[in-house]
Amino acid sequence: MSTHTLETPAPATASAPIRLAARGITRRFGAVVANNAIDLSVRRGTVHAIVGGNGAGKSTLMKIFQGLDRPDEGTLLLDGKPVVLAGPADAFSRGIGMVHQEFMLVPGLTLLENLILAKEPAAILGRIDRKAALEAARRLEKEAGVSLDWDMLVDDAPVHVRQIVEILRLLYRGADVLILDEPTAVLAPAQIRDLIALIHKLKGEGRTILFISHKLDEVMQVADDITVLRAGRVVGSMPVSQTDKGRLAEMMIGEVLTHPTARPAAAGAPVLQIFGLAARDSRGIERIKGVDLTVRAGEIVAIAGVAGNGQDELAAAVAGLVAPAGGRIVLCGKDVTQLPIQERRALGLSYLSADRANEGLCPAAAIADNALAGHHRRPAFCRSGLLKAGAIKAHVTSLLDRYSVMRGSPADPVSSLSGGNQQRVAIARELDAEPKVLIACQPTRGVDIRGIAFIHQCLLDYRERGGAVLLITEELDEIIALADRILGLYGGRITGEIERGTAHLENIGRMMLGEALA
Amino acid sequence: MTSDAATTVMQPSGRAWLRSIGEALLPLGVALAIAALILLVSGFDPIEVYRLLLVESFGDARRIGATLAASTPLILTGLATAIAFRAGVFNVGVEGSLYVGGMAAAYVGFAATGLLGFLMVPAALLAAVIVGALWMWLPGVLRARLDVDEVVTTLMLNFIAISLTSYLVNGPLLAPGSANSATPMIADAARLSPIMPPSTLNTGFLIAVALLVLYAFWSSRSALGFESRLTGLSPRFAIASGIDVRKVIVGMMLLSGAVGGIAGGIHVLGNIHRFVAGFSPGYGFTGIAVALLGRNSAVGMLLAAILFGALTTSGATIQLFSDVPIEIVNILQGMVMIFAVARFGLLVGKGRP
Repeated sequence: MSTHTLETPAPATASAPIRLAARGITRRFGAVVANNAIDLSVRRGTVHAIVGGNGAGKSTLMKIFQGLDRPDEGTLLLDGKPVVLAGPADAFSRGIGMVHQEFMLVPGLTLLENLILAKEPAAILGRIDRKAALEAARRLEKEAGVSLDWDMLVDDAPVHVRQIVEILRLLYRGADVLILDEPTAVLAPAQIRDLIALIHKLKGEGRTILFISHKLDEVMQVADDITVLRAGRVVGSMPVSQTDKGRLAEMMIGEVLTHPTARPAAAGAPVLQIFGLAARDSRGIERIKGVDLTVRAGEIVAIAGVAGNGQDELAAAVAGLVAPAGGRIVLCGKDVTQLPIQERRALGLSYLSADRANEGLCPAAAIADNALAGHHRRPAFCRSGLLKAGAIKAHVTSLLDRYSVMRGSPADPVSSLSGGNQQRVAIARELDAEPKVLIACQPTRGVDIRGIAFIHQCLLDYRERGGAVLLITEELDEIIALADRILGLYGGRITGEIERGTAHLENIGRMMLGEALA
Repeated sequence: MTSDAATTVMQPSGRAWLRSIGEALLPLGVALAIAALILLVSGFDPIEVYRLLLVESFGDARRIGATLAASTPLILTGLATAIAFRAGVFNVGVEGSLYVGGMAAAYVGFAATGLLGFLMVPAALLAAVIVGALWMWLPGVLRARLDVDEVVTTLMLNFIAISLTSYLVNGPLLAPGSANSATPMIADAARLSPIMPPSTLNTGFLIAVALLVLYAFWSSRSALGFESRLTGLSPRFAIASGIDVRKVIVGMMLLSGAVGGIAGGIHVLGNIHRFVAGFSPGYGFTGIAVALLGRNSAVGMLLAAILFGALTTSGATIQLFSDVPIEIVNILQGMVMIFAVARFGLLVGKGRP
């Protein structure tokens, strides 16, 4: 391979040998068939994208490739030979490594320490040979065309740096097949470009990359071959040159989607007002510095910003999860700055957390419990401290039906649902009591196309009914599709405001980078 | 820490029930198997020993009475532990509540002789509840407000409780003319009535079972039970849902201490009829095993408490009828405790979805 550009990946030779293959892989969980007779062939030295919606079976298949799970039927082939992987360590020894969606670096250790973890170069008496470690790190750096501060603690490293360390770790341990699970979910647009460049470089060095995603733009940019999964089956597998975004979307979804309809807004009285708000993160660093904003009834106001510019702290302060360092928050005319979260909720505040696994939902608790939490003290469900089982059951069933949550029993843990269905449970709970204002953080993170359309429609319907939404998201398409007004957030300050209609990627992007709008 | 994720506001499916029963029985099976190996190696016939254990604990009405009597304090300490566990608080201080509660009940029992007879038992138990709950107030507040590890504080408070009560019965509350470290005997009216003479089984067992039933109802049907379960499963989620997690944690610690206090009170009023220094052979700690083995569920904990009660009663008499040493029974008990903590479910199947 010689030179290649970002837009057109070098076409890998069709005759390249198959590095990794699946033949008739089937994996069942109870009545659910997560993988149904999957056939897949990944050519050496190519980027092979696996696309599919939530619950399509991508994660299960990747777990099988990594030895974390075993198929009920079917075989894995490595270089044409059938193998049974005993576990991730076994997969590693055969050259397969994976970067998970949730990074698995050890906090409290430096980047270098994380790089060499589990395969430390040893000096005399078992001490870690730091010099050798650093040499190895520099070598990998050069190979990947990046430059890192290796003495930085993982905790201080931005998300994209952590991701690079995760990838380099696989290289350090000798993996030549890299599985990247939704690697762009946490990245800003510029960082995504860097990642794609890195992937192309690694491919150029002869490595094989499995790229899991449901973002079709990126897939078209990065992949040589694409396999589409739907409901546990392979619905198509083709070179990137023989398909396009529209056809991929069709294959993923299986039916034509109606786009969310945005009706003209008729914004009413201010519902959420924020004056001079300052907020600190958990380490005491001021992340929000004097933010003023207003959200009116029947209006969606979006905050556009690159991750780490204060969005999390803004949401946490408004929701009542952290005490603000200064300023005032007024909800429906009442100063709630000092009120605890439960009293804010009682006044009509709703909060959709960006951290679904830890804050938005309780994965180990039942679907029903997740749908009920926070509303369980309402008179309709609770009298003299006792829950009304019948009323709750009827309510939860109707709620889950109305939000089309695909589920087994409501008593099953919420972790048994796919990501998109989990998010529907969270949205259903937060929107159901007709709150006055919803803080919606990354409402479609990790959700497939169909789920995104559904959630967008939910937000628009809520606005139609007079709801106020403060939308905090890193998806610019989402902002353009939904927002009536867009505020740029950079370095903890509002950098500008754009009305719906005049918004496009370019002027939003400038606000996100802290440039004042003319 | 085990959490009763199986309980929910909705009824779990029958299969989930079967699965949880299987998970609860597995530790017992493994413990019995390993103890059988130890017996074999030591030259005993395990089948014969197990048969003897069974006969000695459930062979006739008297033995069943003794077994249930021995399980009474374990039901209550297990319950006290479970109340804290399910809120995510690893309270290992039930032993301490048991001591101070027992002492409070004994004091009312011998000192408050002016009370009407039928008020004696309720008054003594009320004293046990209040003192037991207050004993857990400090670790509860320290955990909720300052994030101080409750394992450390409650464990240390055990030693303080044991020493404090020991001091009291050797000084101010020592029975006149007694050389033992014990309070005077409590009034007859303060004693719990036997229900299966000649065994020591008394109404305390009924109180314990009633509290278990109440707990089963409370944990699945009350708003506070719901809140404490969510707090135990995911505090961050509970906070974001508007649940006052600090209040829940302090409340569950008080409740846990109250039940621990009752355990001590009932043991005093029903069995020993006065407070004696060091009166508990570790009921509070066995209660941890009861809660873990019973997976915080009422039925599970009842069975676990009876199991440990049976091992205690049969262990005491088995020596009389065979040459099996008591240590073998202790080993069996220890095995069950160890495996109670293991989550065998993780080994079954090829991994989790």
